[in-house]
Amino acid sequence: MDRDELVDTLAGMALFADLGRVRLQEVAHTFIEDSFSAGQRVLRQGFSGTGFYVILDGQVAVRIDGTDRATLGKGDFFGEMSLLLGEAPVADVVALAPLRVLQLGGPDLESFLKRHPEVMFRMLQSLARRLRTANTRQS
Amino acid sequence: MPASTQEKVAQLARVQLFGGVSRPALERIAELVGEIDFSAGDYIVRQGQLGNGLYIILSGTARVVRSGEDLARLGPGDSFGELAVIDRSPRMANVIADEPVTCFGLASWDLLPLLEKEPIIAVNMLRELSSRVRSLAGMHHRH
Repeated sequence: MDRDELVDTLAGMALFADLGRVRLQEVAHTFIEDSFSAGQRVLRQGFSGTGFYVILDGQVAVRIDGTDRATLGKGDFFGEMSLLLGEAPVADVVALAPLRVLQLGGPDLESFLKRHPEVMFRMLQSLARRLRTANTRQS
Repeated sequence: MPASTQEKVAQLARVQLFGGVSRPALERIAELVGEIDFSAGDYIVRQGQLGNGLYIILSGTARVVRSGEDLARLGPGDSFGELAVIDRSPRMANVIADEPVTCFGLASWDLLPLLEKEPIIAVNMLRELSSRVRSLAGMHHRH
């Protein structure tokens, strides 16, 4: 995917919706594009040393102890909770189809978010939603 | 007697949410927060109501109750109520004072610009929410 195309894709994602063209180009520059084949594990439950991922294309399953808990697709992201807490992922994240992602190395996430508070706020909103969903499920 | 700015700064410096925030920034935050007293049994926030601020406990303890079920106990240094500010949704639970409780209240219209000006606060908040998501799923490993 060329840089302009990537910026267009990012512009359509909720996580980056508040960023203008120039900032989106910086995002495209900061992240590394990576791909996985169907069945490949992107994150491993219990293993540290991972990153933050944003899905460009394809789908992943979030799998805990062999049970699928959620499916994520284009524009969704994962890996941030482990990085922020400094803990190993609590789920496997497995590509369900050929997968293209943007990846940011673990140590870079916090400084990236501090440089882009609008992205961080979107991430907070997403976590708040997850927390509400988890709460509803529990009761 | 209301606390002086310096006293407020000292109290804010002990709150996890403001960990890593510079002293000048804490002084600005001290100007934004207001001290609120609650009696035992008072509802500090009420489930289902729209929230327009977050609370930081300075003294006393409170319990988090959702639909009649006790979920957690909060004490000095703990903050709560940020979810309703972040996603402008109704409060998810009641927070009820167990004993006399003194809180700082921070209004949403002050908090939101603060998150942009002092991104470390948003990072602290992300950590706190991540930790809550994990503990709810019953798979949190504290270290």
